[in-house]
Amino acid sequence: MKMKWSSAVRVLSVFAVLFVSGADGQAQPSAVSRASDFTSVQYYPAPFQRQVKSRLSGAEAQPLAGGLLVIKQLKLETFNMDGSPQSIIEAPECVYDTLHDAASSAGHLQLQSGDGRIRVEGDGFLWRQDNSFLTISNHVHSVIETGPETNARL
Amino acid sequence: MAVTAGMTARAQPATNAAPKLPRPPTQVDSASGFFDGTGHKAIYSGNVRVDDPDMKLTCEWLVVDLPQSGGRVSHIVAETNVVINGTDSKGQPMRGTGDKAVYDFQVKDSVTNETITLTGNAKVEYAQGWMTGEPIIWNRADNSLSATNQHMVFRQNLNGARADTNAPAATTNKLTTPE
Repeated sequence: MKMKWSSAVRVLSVFAVLFVSGADGQAQPSAVSRASDFTSVQYYPAPFQRQVKSRLSGAEAQPLAGGLLVIKQLKLETFNMDGSPQSIIEAPECVYDTLHDAASSAGHLQLQSGDGRIRVEGDGFLWRQDNSFLTISNHVHSVIETGPETNARL
Repeated sequence: MAVTAGMTARAQPATNAAPKLPRPPTQVDSASGFFDGTGHKAIYSGNVRVDDPDMKLTCEWLVVDLPQSGGRVSHIVAETNVVINGTDSKGQPMRGTGDKAVYDFQVKDSVTNETITLTGNAKVEYAQGWMTGEPIIWNRADNSLSATNQHMVFRQNLNGARADTNAPAATTNKLTTPE
């Protein structure tokens, strides 16, 4: 519950930005509202509540009905409990469901493991933030480095 | 009873050898994929194709246990219509088929164990013949094959040396191909 709350706070802050930019003193729900360079962070549950579990960011977000956000230049980073990077997901565009903490798109997606040894791409995806589960629907292509460890990093 | 048949160990390291080139990566293609960040698993389904420097594998369902802190993949399970094409130490083609294949890699006491275990109508074909068994274990460290409930058939060569040589049932045999 606490984890949801902390996540919600950040999503609400995005909405606050959207509201400010869109309201402009007038109640104009049809006005175009956008946020740029925003971030939504989710934390591990207690006792690791200070540890970031995932960080979702985008160059631009535009709200839709039902708590949806259209995000451009999505970047989703996940972290292990020790703070080390687990994976990075990037997509040109997606729809983020703030009510269910899920991102989806029919477009292209690229994923890279934290150490850079696993790279995946495909078309069409659904990412569930609460359980860190990613589904890629089509044309999945993975490259797995199996040789000696490299210095590949984020 | 041990049936030996010439899949000798990989080439011995040469002295003054040129620096090793990096091992090419393994590539996996599939219709769809599922990545469990919590369970650290990658699941590929539908027309799965694995292109590895040492072998090519096709199947319908592939589960890869992802290492949590880097390092190499140590456990892979392939299921449904599994076909593995590789070569033995002499460069001769080998083809393994089965309902399921399990890849395991581990280093224990400085000894590397790297095996592929085929089960479910398991069969391996190679230049000199073919064998069935439940399971068939392909030891990738020395390219040897062993099987329980083994049945082997050697193709007859031009000298007519062997044909239809069957190993006794219910034994675990190690295979090396004839010289």
